[in-house]
Amino acid sequence: MSIEVTLNGRPCELAAASDEMLLDVLRRAGARSVRLSCGVGACGACTVLLDGEPVSSCLLLAELARGCAIETVEGLVDDVVQRSFDELVAFQCGFCTPGMILTARHLLAENPSPTRAQVREHLNGNICRCGCYPRIEDAVLHAARTSEERR
Amino acid sequence: MNERVTGAIRYSQDVERPNMLHAKIVRSLAAHAQITRIELPGGIPEGCVLITAADVADCRPYGCLVPDTPVLAETARYVGDPIAAVAAPDPRLAERLARAVAVEWSDLPAATDLEAALAADAPVVHDVCEVASRRGAWSGMRPIDGTNVSHRSRLIHGRGEAGFDEADVVVEGEWTTASAQHAPMEPHACLAEWAGGRLTVWTGTQTPFNLRRELATAFGLAEADVRVIAPPMGGSFGAKTFTRIEAIAAALARAAQRPVKLVLARDELFLTLNRHPTRSRVRLGATRDGRFVARRVWSWWDTGAYADTGPNVAAKGAWAAVGPYRFDHVEIDADCVYTNRPSNGAFRGYAATQAAWASEQCVDMLAERLAIDPLELRLQNVLRDGDRFATGELMHDFHVAECLEAVAREIEWDRSRAGVGLCALMKGMQTPSRAGARIELADGRLTVHAATAEIGQGPTTVLPKLAAEALGADPRLVTLAEIDTDVTPFDTRTTSSRSTHMMAGALGEAAEALRRALADELEAAPGDLRFTADGGIEIVGTPASRRPLASLPALSGEGEHVIEGGLDPDSGQGIASAHWHQGAGAVRVAVDRETGVVEIVGLAAAVYAGRVVDASRAALQNDGSVVMGIGSALYESIEFSDGQVTNANMGDYQVPAFRDVPAFAATLHELPGAEIHGLGETALPLVPAATGNALRALGLAQSHLPIHPERVLDALDRSGA
Amino acid sequence: MSGTVWHRPASLADALALKAELGDDALAIAGGTYLGVLLSTGLIDPPEALIALGGIAELRGLEVDGDVLRIGALETHRAVERSVAVRQGGFEALADTFALVANVRIRSVATVGGVLADADYASDPPAMLCALGAVVVLASSRGERRLSIEQLILGHYETAIEHDELLVRVEIPRPERAAYLKFRSRGSEDRPCVGVAVVRRAGLRVVIGAASDRPQVFPELCALADGRELTPELCDEIAGGYAERLEALDDLRGSAGYRRRVTRTLVRRGLEAIA
Repeated sequence: MSIEVTLNGRPCELAAASDEMLLDVLRRAGARSVRLSCGVGACGACTVLLDGEPVSSCLLLAELARGCAIETVEGLVDDVVQRSFDELVAFQCGFCTPGMILTARHLLAENPSPTRAQVREHLNGNICRCGCYPRIEDAVLHAARTSEERR
Repeated sequence: MNERVTGAIRYSQDVERPNMLHAKIVRSLAAHAQITRIELPGGIPEGCVLITAADVADCRPYGCLVPDTPVLAETARYVGDPIAAVAAPDPRLAERLARAVAVEWSDLPAATDLEAALAADAPVVHDVCEVASRRGAWSGMRPIDGTNVSHRSRLIHGRGEAGFDEADVVVEGEWTTASAQHAPMEPHACLAEWAGGRLTVWTGTQTPFNLRRELATAFGLAEADVRVIAPPMGGSFGAKTFTRIEAIAAALARAAQRPVKLVLARDELFLTLNRHPTRSRVRLGATRDGRFVARRVWSWWDTGAYADTGPNVAAKGAWAAVGPYRFDHVEIDADCVYTNRPSNGAFRGYAATQAAWASEQCVDMLAERLAIDPLELRLQNVLRDGDRFATGELMHDFHVAECLEAVAREIEWDRSRAGVGLCALMKGMQTPSRAGARIELADGRLTVHAATAEIGQGPTTVLPKLAAEALGADPRLVTLAEIDTDVTPFDTRTTSSRSTHMMAGALGEAAEALRRALADELEAAPGDLRFTADGGIEIVGTPASRRPLASLPALSGEGEHVIEGGLDPDSGQGIASAHWHQGAGAVRVAVDRETGVVEIVGLAAAVYAGRVVDASRAALQNDGSVVMGIGSALYESIEFSDGQVTNANMGDYQVPAFRDVPAFAATLHELPGAEIHGLGETALPLVPAATGNALRALGLAQSHLPIHPERVLDALDRSGA
Repeated sequence: MSGTVWHRPASLADALALKAELGDDALAIAGGTYLGVLLSTGLIDPPEALIALGGIAELRGLEVDGDVLRIGALETHRAVERSVAVRQGGFEALADTFALVANVRIRSVATVGGVLADADYASDPPAMLCALGAVVVLASSRGERRLSIEQLILGHYETAIEHDELLVRVEIPRPERAAYLKFRSRGSEDRPCVGVAVVRRAGLRVVIGAASDRPQVFPELCALADGRELTPELCDEIAGGYAERLEALDDLRGSAGYRRRVTRTLVRRGLEAIA
């Protein structure tokens, strides 16, 4: 079947099997930053924003995304969170990084000036096995401050 | 921006080849069984393949130390043992076919844990003497005939156990550790392709050259006919070492005559390689005033169904059990034991985690008995430069005492010792060891060819930095090439935190060689050459000699760094490590006395780093090691029922998340002029042992790792509090 | 492989007609997280047909009407967690309970109807809804019926929902005091080892979740609080009774004995929180 979505701002039709997860469909469409890791929604490596909300694309049947706006890091341009992760080196292997960035963007959209505790709470379901947590917290807080200064 | 941040990085799971098939492994449901029939009801669809042990009958068993691992098993030795594999044009079809495969078997008696495998009448997983005598087996194997002990590692120093007669006080305890999963975010992935009798494998691996040799063994090829290309990994921590899934992909590709890609699902990682569960009995003797006299350790390392690097883990576990202390007498037996479980092998902290959990708690047991401050007791006995370790080697550049003092300050040991525990540790690097590197100049760019695998620890940044430093060039001119065993110089492997240390030596030599080649080209003395900021080279003092690098012909310089050593398997004497990874940890806990929940409320780790090459990435490594240590201390345990893993998913197997990690102080100690020391896995083993000692300080001593609140409550009951 | 047939009814009546026609051959799907786990781990084959409920407006809504909160089955955990109406309408403890489930990605899609219809023992909301005395409205082409949570959840993944029925909404009376304690024995991402919900309205209701196949309540023990102040002694007595009578299972998060033991502590702490 064919599923109409808006992917990173562009309307497109995704070809999908009727029982296929959004993750596989997006990877086929070139969004390789969306990655399968745990397969049960526990780690966040496959996070995408669906109409602005973070979801585990490994668990979401593609059909359920019909008509939605999907955001992956491939669509980011001059993004303050992304730049902050880069500047502070808030990553090691990088496998979890796109999901971290998207979840952090969602947090800052809801709460532009989070405390460290709020960052930890919101990102808690995104696992970084390399254990970059303190640095990632720093990067999200740094991004929030940078946005604030800009405003 | 870094390609990890943009998402543009490509891992081995992203590798694609024209006409490739996708594979799925068919696994044994029995812990020990003779497979009698495997068949796909309805037949194999066109364009798909199914292979079983019969299809790889020509292949030889492989293994990094013991050739005991078949490509596909006819006798299944654990629940999850690969017994067949399918490949299909579509990954979902491959999965469906694998699930549809019908298997018949007859059960054999199984030994599904250490206790069962060590029993007097235990079922035998392998004929240990037979596998140890096979061609290609490590000559240091010391199997015990008729048992499941594939290797007994011994260490004798002084008068050994007899030396306890000089001790005034003796303490003894027994400790156990559970199996743990590396759980890298990226599951194992590889792609195999045959062309013209040569096998090419793209795979995320820490050990490209070991893999090349093992694949050559398995398929009866010359090593030169195997090519391993190693893209960056999304984490590994020891999981992607030696041959994991590559031989199966290669066998499928051979049968299908098409490239075959194999990516594991999360549950399969728990069936592929885990950390050794252990049991250790530790006895420690000292004089009344706290001088360590003798240590005796027996330890058992459950290596699972195939030895993998288990004998080496046990050997490391033997001397790691001594700890960073002076002893007059030491005797250690460390047995590597086959069981009908998934294989256990290399895991960040390699044997030190299990050894320190037992030995460092035994130190606190002694401190308690003698009523000596555990910090003072450690400082009194810790090795210093010029001391002789139990292996006979002389200590140099040794700073565990300073690390202990640093963490004691950080945790405010003098203010309050309630619920605070310490751990001191030394760990070694792979010894002997060899690293090769080449720096190439072409089209104005400098490229490093070195087989240090990118796991996330940052060689992509650090190796070019080292090369640039050695050349005196701008690091932005230098990049690290992808590993390709056809092109990349030999390197032992990316393990044991050896790579930056070893590659600094190899790149130093390579840089000198390149400078000599440049000097020949420019007809100058190598010492007179200078790289300019704008991508040129000139003879010092002669600005007119400046030439853009791009105008030079292709040139290269190669270097190698070799260190000798190793231990005698019967005495444990020799050189265990060319340099020591050293550290100390301190943990403060708070215990909910009604639920047994342990909270780490303070944590300090100090690691000696010698010279740090990239401060930001070194700190990430050290921090990450602490975070993983928290998981090992409190959560991580693979659970089994009749040999079957019961929590093979990341919901039921818990790894630390943001909120599980308290604010902590992990420091790297540098010394001007010191050599580079490995630092990637020193902090991990500190955390469980220091947490154990913190609970001991509260009268809630724990024998099993990880620490579950239920057992803490049991300890509370025993303490009568 | 013919694939899964998707039905996308636009109204509840259409959905119920489909359920009546297809029965258990067609699974109703809202957020699809539970089905997603089953499919992605290969525990089930793809279903023959799915009825996507997302387009049905009647299944939405989060509103406080007098003393009752009505939550449409399709509302997500996140919606409840963040609803001003819920929080300011006297249901803050319920919002907090939904906020404790899994992670933000799961809560963005997992629905109130879904968590009840799945009846997974290791969940937080069912115990809280049970303590609140929530009523679940089930609809079929035969009509509607109303069940309590105790009547709805029968065992592991087992509910009283008939093959032609859909869970359409939950109605929850406003409590005087309420608290939910989620007890995790391992990491911060773990499911509950035990969940304790304590609610005071007309009387006291204490419900234990995640300890066995379904939420457990002992009315006789709750009745001890009738007309009495929750003194430390009374809290202890009720907590002790719960620990004694609790049916508990063994899993990775704790043994049955451990669950009983922490239940005693948690019930006491919960009661103290609302005393």
